[in-house]
Amino acid sequence: MIEAVCLDLTPKILLAEDDPELRELLALVLESAGYQVSQCSDGEQLLARLEECEPCHLVISDIHMPGLSGLEVLARRQGRFQQIPFICMTAFGDARTHNKARRLGAVATIDKPFDLDEMIALAGHVCLRNDQH
Amino acid sequence: MRLTIKITLATLLGVVLIFSVYSYLSIQREREQIKRNLSREARHIGESLRVIVTELWQQRGEDEALDFLVRANQGYSETLVRWVWVVENPPAHYKPRVPLSHLDRLRFEETVTLMAASDEGHDFLLTYLPVLTPSGRIGAIELMESMEEMHDYVQESLRRSAIVVGALVVSGLALMTVLGSIWVGRPMRKLRAQAERIGTGDFSTSINLSGSDELAELSNTIERMRGQLAQARDAEQAANAAKIEALEKLRHTERLATLGQLSAGMAHELGTPLNVIAGRAKLISREGMAAEDISRSATIIHDQAQRMTGIMRQLLSFARRGEARKQRIDLNLVMRAVLPLLEPTLHKQNVDLQLDETPHELSVCADSAQLQQVLLNLILNGIHAMPDGGKITLSGFPAVDVSVPEEVESPDQSWICLQVTDEGTGIEPEVQKRMFDPFFTTKEVGQGTGLGLSIAYGIIQEHGGWIDVESVPDKGSNFRIYLPSTCRGEVA
Repeated sequence: MIEAVCLDLTPKILLAEDDPELRELLALVLESAGYQVSQCSDGEQLLARLEECEPCHLVISDIHMPGLSGLEVLARRQGRFQQIPFICMTAFGDARTHNKARRLGAVATIDKPFDLDEMIALAGHVCLRNDQH
Repeated sequence: MRLTIKITLATLLGVVLIFSVYSYLSIQREREQIKRNLSREARHIGESLRVIVTELWQQRGEDEALDFLVRANQGYSETLVRWVWVVENPPAHYKPRVPLSHLDRLRFEETVTLMAASDEGHDFLLTYLPVLTPSGRIGAIELMESMEEMHDYVQESLRRSAIVVGALVVSGLALMTVLGSIWVGRPMRKLRAQAERIGTGDFSTSINLSGSDELAELSNTIERMRGQLAQARDAEQAANAAKIEALEKLRHTERLATLGQLSAGMAHELGTPLNVIAGRAKLISREGMAAEDISRSATIIHDQAQRMTGIMRQLLSFARRGEARKQRIDLNLVMRAVLPLLEPTLHKQNVDLQLDETPHELSVCADSAQLQQVLLNLILNGIHAMPDGGKITLSGFPAVDVSVPEEVESPDQSWICLQVTDEGTGIEPEVQKRMFDPFFTTKEVGQGTGLGLSIAYGIIQEHGGWIDVESVPDKGSNFRIYLPSTCRGEVA
């Protein structure tokens, strides 16, 4: 599950989720866990942010989003973006969706509904940061 | 009854013919008999006269003998006696009444008897007895008898025969009319009434003709037939009921299958609000949260729970099938009602559904839950045909210039069309031919029941309409549902 390393003390997370409530909640929790969170509401925005070379250490993206889906963003990222670890979220996803995300290079996939602590732990593992909470 | 009269007339005709022939032969025979009797009588008289004439001729001469014959006439009122000469050109008052050529046998001393008619048309019996005169000339005694008596007798016989024939015909007809009515007419009326009752499907009344004639046998046969028909109808009704029940079950199964497809999307849609609820609850449970944040989280939890309730309710409203009921509905409303059910699936499959409503009402007589199912089936098929996403257009409009298929019951009316157009993979012509067949599916095993389209077709057919398909491989498909704008039994 661990593929990339980031040693920044306040790592930056790019969060893509179309549901505003969940996006707000995740941002709140991740920020309180010590991350800098940048939010976008669909795949196009996410891809634009990545292409704008916004420095970030982790991408957390929903798979099903209007416009470009998370998987499509995964497939289109190129060059150095490929180094940025990608965590995919999907609601009651089936094995096929999980496998597809993995094949496209996602470091981890997580099924909604998930435990917030689980997400923090996952983000922490990916960023090699032992969370204190 | 007419048959009885026909048989009677035929029988009477036969009887009359036989009787007439018999009467004719009898009369002929009697006539011959009378003729023979008269002839014999004439001969006897003639024989006697000849003896006397011959004697007189020899003893007293020709004049005395001929005179005797003239006087002899006075003794026989019915018979006229004369002397004739059997020679060429005799004196006029001794000339035979028939030509000499008929009297050749007199020359051989044979008696001649023959019939002759007078100029007035009266028949006579002529008897000639040859007499060889002492002078050697051949003469004859001619006896002439009128046949009037015999004619009268024959006339009388004919009249009697005619009376008997007439009486036979009249009494035969009268008798057969009465008996035919009792023996044939009445039972035939009963049988006909029974046959008509059975023809209209009334198997309740039984018929029983007493006796052992053909009509009684026929009534027994009709009775047996009535029993068998009633049995067959009961069996057919039972089979129909079973068929309807099976169809209902099949539709329910298909409904559940549709529900399965929809619920995959719905479950997916439930994941996010559940996540928010669980996360917010966790936040609340942490220590050190500001009262304001706790209150906000609680409100969000409530809203998300509401959202989930809404999703569940939509699913249940489709799953819980009420009794089938047709009523006037606006198709715009039906189209609108399928949107929320499909939204999660559309979202998941990245398909855009465009709804083209008509500004005015599209009123049809239909069961809206059934139509909803048809639309869901068609749209889910469209989604399935676009694995990489795309656009589906759902529209409703009054149809113009429709070519109505032959099997549609009442083609002369106005039609409303619902159209589902996708940009999917299209349908191969081979598949198009079979796509409405039950259990035909192009989906992988476990992906489809193969009943969706056949049930959709069945539902539309039951509504008096039909489904048309146009499809171009790799371009997309266009399904058109045609529904009559008038209810069955409703005046247009």
